[in-house]
Amino acid sequence: MNSGTTAFVYVTVRVAATLALGAALGWFAGSVWAGISGAFALYLAWNLWQLRELWFWLQHRSVADPPDALGLWGDVVAQVVRLHRRKRFHKERLTRLFRELRRSTAAMPDGVVMLDPQGEIVWFNRKAGELLELSRRADVGLRIDNLVRHPDFVEYLHGGQYSLPVIVHIDTHAERHVAFQLISYGEDQRLLMLRDVTREVRLEQMRKDFVANASHELRSPLTVVAGYLETFGADPGLGELAAPIAEMRRQTDRMTRIIEDLLELSRFEVNDAPIKGAPIDVAGMAALLRKDVLARPTHPHQVELAIESSAGLLGDEAMVQSAFANLVDNAAKYTPPEGSMLIRWWTDAEGGHFSVRDTGPGIPSEHIPRLTERFYRVDPARSRDTGGSGLGLAIVKHALHRHGARLEIDSGEGRGSTFTCHFPHERVLERRVAATA
Amino acid sequence: METADLSHHISRRFNEDLERVRNKVLTMGGMVEQQLANAVTALIEGDSNLGAQVARDDFKVNGMEVSIDEECQKILATRAPAAGDLRVIVSIIKTITDLERIGDEGEKIGYIASRLATMERPADKYREIKHLGRIVAEMVHAALDAFARMDAEAALRVARQDRVVDEEYESIQRQCITFMMEDPRSIRRALDVMWIVRALERIGDHAKNICEYVYYMVYGKDVRHTKLEDVERDLRDRARGA
Repeated sequence: MNSGTTAFVYVTVRVAATLALGAALGWFAGSVWAGISGAFALYLAWNLWQLRELWFWLQHRSVADPPDALGLWGDVVAQVVRLHRRKRFHKERLTRLFRELRRSTAAMPDGVVMLDPQGEIVWFNRKAGELLELSRRADVGLRIDNLVRHPDFVEYLHGGQYSLPVIVHIDTHAERHVAFQLISYGEDQRLLMLRDVTREVRLEQMRKDFVANASHELRSPLTVVAGYLETFGADPGLGELAAPIAEMRRQTDRMTRIIEDLLELSRFEVNDAPIKGAPIDVAGMAALLRKDVLARPTHPHQVELAIESSAGLLGDEAMVQSAFANLVDNAAKYTPPEGSMLIRWWTDAEGGHFSVRDTGPGIPSEHIPRLTERFYRVDPARSRDTGGSGLGLAIVKHALHRHGARLEIDSGEGRGSTFTCHFPHERVLERRVAATA
Repeated sequence: METADLSHHISRRFNEDLERVRNKVLTMGGMVEQQLANAVTALIEGDSNLGAQVARDDFKVNGMEVSIDEECQKILATRAPAAGDLRVIVSIIKTITDLERIGDEGEKIGYIASRLATMERPADKYREIKHLGRIVAEMVHAALDAFARMDAEAALRVARQDRVVDEEYESIQRQCITFMMEDPRSIRRALDVMWIVRALERIGDHAKNICEYVYYMVYGKDVRHTKLEDVERDLRDRARGA
C-alpha cells in the first residue's frame, strides 16, 4: 500500500519532469508544443517497451527471469512475483497434503471405495482394487453393483440399512469372505469400506464345528456311563453307595442336558440366514406349553394363558417351540409354588409378541445385559441346583435372531420377570393357522 | 431454445432408461452366478437342501428375464434407438436369454445334486467337476465383467476359455465311461454326473455367447460362428487403425 503510493508519486514526478523537459527543449528549439509532444511520445514508447517486457516475461515465466524494470513497472513485476510465489507455496502444500492422504489411504489395511449418489465409483484405494479386482483405468465411473454382483451385496446397497456390514462370499479366483460397510457422508456421497474377513469366518466356522463335533463325541461315552449308573441304581442291596450313585445319576442327567442344548444351539447356528419356514399355530403351542408346566411335580399355583390374537407365525416350528419352551421352563423353575405365571400372545401394528411373566425372585438389573451369554449365571450356586444347562437363553436368542425377532427382558429384584419375544410384522400370519402339533 | 431443452430432456431420460436396463441385466447376472455357485457347492458338499433351494429359486431368474424383456420392448417401441443404442438393446435381449439358460442349467445341476446327495459319494469327491465348475463360474463372471466394462478384448479372452471347458468335458466323459465299464452298479450315478458335466459345458457355451454379444455391442460386428483367430485379427486391425 505504502510502496504503491510512493510509486504513484514517482510516476507523477516523472510525468511532470517529462512535461518540463519537453517544454524546456521545445522552448530552446522554438516550438514548446512540439517539444512536449516529442517528450511524451518517447515516454509512451518507453512505457510500451516495459509493457512488452512484462508481457513476454509473463508468457515465459517458467524460463525467463523477471525484467529489470524501473518505477511502477518494477513494482508491478515485484507484486506478480510475490503473488506467484505465494500461490506456488499453497499449491505445494496442498499437493503434499493430498499426496500424503492418498498414500496413507492406499496403505490402509482395509479397502475404501468412494461412491457418488448413483453408486458410481469415484475413487478407490489399492486394497479395494485387490479385493474386488478393479482396474483404476477402466472402472472409475462404473457402478459398483455392476462389478460386485453378489445378490446379498446388491440388496445391501439398495436396502438403505447401513448400520451393520454385510459379509459376502466371493469365490472367483481366490476364495474370500469380504465384509462391506457403507458410510454416508456429505450430500448423498457414500464411502464403501471393505475388509477381508476370510480368517474370521473360517475361525468362526471351526469353532462351531468344534462345538458340534465335541458335543457329539461326548454323548456316546456319557450314554454308557449313564446306562451303568441306572443299572446300579436299580439294585436294592447298595447300602451306603446308594446316595453317591443317586448323585452321580443326577449329574450325568445334567451333563446330558448340557450336551443336548449345545447340540441344539450349534444346529441353530449352522448359518445366519433368516429362515422362511412354515406357518406355526402359536395359540396351540402356548396351550401345550401350559400343560407341560402343570404336569411338573411342583408348579406355580396359577398358570394363566392370555391368547389375545388368533394370528400365527411364519418360521421354523422346532426353533420357535424350543425358544418358547425355554422361556416357559425358566419361569416355571424360578416361580415358587404359591406364585403365578402368565403366558401371553398378542399382535399390533409392530408385529407379534409372545411374553412370559412370572412372580419369581427377579433378576438384578446389572445381570440383564449378559443373561443371553452362554453359561452365564446370575447366582451360580442356586442355578446349578435347578439343573439348568446355562444355555437356555442363548438358544432363545439364537432362535429369535434367525427369525428377525428380538428378546426383551424386563425384570427387577423382588418384582418378578417378564421375557417378551418381539416378532417383526412380516412374520405374523393374520388368519388362524390349523394346529399342527 | 425450448425445443433444444426438450430434446436434451428426452435423451437424458432415454439414457436413464438404458442405464437402468443394463443394471438390471447385471443384477440378473449376479443372481445367476450365485445360483451356479450354490448348485456346484450342493454337489461337492452333498448338501441336498442347498440343491433343492437352487432348483426352487430359478423362478426369480426367469422373472427377471421377462421383466427386462418387457422394458427392452418398451424402449424399442417408444424411443426407436439407433446405432450404438440399438446395439445395446439387441445385445441385452440376447444376453438375458443366455443368462436364463444358464439359470436353467443351474437348476438342473441343483436338482441332480440334491438327488446325488442321498447316494454314496465317489472317492475323489467330484474333484474333476469342482475344477470344471470353477472354470465355468469364472467364465460367467468374466463375461459379465466384460459386459459391465464394455471391454471387447476381455470378452475375447473369455471366449477363448471355452476350449478348455470342452477339453475338460471330454476328459470327464472318458472317465465316466471307464467307471461304467468297470462297475455296472455305478452306471446310474455316472449318468447323473454326465448330466451335470454336460450342463456345465453348456453354461460355458452360453458365457461364450454373451462375450460375442459384448463384441457386437462395442464394435458392431457380429462374430457368431466366426473362428476366434479371425476375430482376433479383426481386433488387431482395429487397434492398428485407431
